[in-house]
Amino acid sequence: MKSNVVIYWTLAVFFLFVATMYTVWAYLYYGYVEWVGVVAVYLLAVLFAFLAFYLGKVYKAQGGELPEDRYDANIDDGDPEMGHFAPWSWWPIALAGGAAIVLLGIAVGAWIVPIGVAIVLVALPGWVYEHYRGNFVH
Amino acid sequence: MEDVTSSSLSRPTGAPLINRPNVVAVGTIVWLGSEVMFFAGLFAIYFTLRGTSPELWAGETSVLNVPLAATITVILVLSSVTAQFGVFAAERHQARRTGWKPSQWGMIEWFWLSYILGAIFVVGQSYEYAILVSEHVSLSSNAYGSAFYITTGFHGLHVIGGLIAMLFTIGRAYAAKNFGRKEATTTIVVSYYWHFVDVVWIGLFLIIYFLR
Repeated sequence: MKSNVVIYWTLAVFFLFVATMYTVWAYLYYGYVEWVGVVAVYLLAVLFAFLAFYLGKVYKAQGGELPEDRYDANIDDGDPEMGHFAPWSWWPIALAGGAAIVLLGIAVGAWIVPIGVAIVLVALPGWVYEHYRGNFVH
Repeated sequence: MEDVTSSSLSRPTGAPLINRPNVVAVGTIVWLGSEVMFFAGLFAIYFTLRGTSPELWAGETSVLNVPLAATITVILVLSSVTAQFGVFAAERHQARRTGWKPSQWGMIEWFWLSYILGAIFVVGQSYEYAILVSEHVSLSSNAYGSAFYITTGFHGLHVIGGLIAMLFTIGRAYAAKNFGRKEATTTIVVSYYWHFVDVVWIGLFLIIYFLR
């Protein structure tokens, strides 16, 4: 985990450097600021700084190295509850189908869009509340 | 963060007990990283058009309603603050209020307040759009209109998405018999998204209304 943080900070500094070089070089070459590259590469630096900062926070809150980062850890040390995962769920497919129909409608004919919207309106709450009703109510 | 861990209940014998990173929270942050690059494209559009037609910017920015935009900016920032208080309540697993004082509020009350503030932002922005259209600045009027509506419009869609996510989060808190880690995680990741959208708006506000 620590190496992830260090790699991301390194990339942030690298892109900060590249962005500055790009800005100056493009200005000297074209005679005006080339905004697309300037914005994109500077925000790449922001992207990596953002990830590095958050992972650094997570690493500090961990209070130690993850078992997968230790040479002396056993397989079962890395076998805790990893989080909440649905054992099975049809809702993602329903939602993706609804979104696909909406996009198809935008491309082909607007009359298709409401059909997709109706599916999305059912599938989205269906997925969000899947574990709050029926068998999984808690 | 201590109550969003997913460490095993029994302490493993080999490695020391650690708080495993919450996969939902880390995944949300990585996705928000991709959102940074999405908005990078929008900012690039804005600056490029501004660079190629400065004369449009000289004329069209005069119709912007800066006091209104500043007001809704403050309201959006405040909604981030109230959402964070909702997170604090969620981290102590408190869904509902125990009294009327804000210090006794639960996650539900704070998120309702954040929702209302966020909705006021959307209303304010819609009003701004209506005024601008009446001043003949529209999506298809010229490059300035396109740049303005595409950047603020995609941001507005993100705010509306965040409002829907907040309603879902509040609904989960009402639906759960016990407000636990799963609900706290939902609250935390929705707040991450909300803070992100807030920060993007501060950038947009500075560029569109302040820098011009």
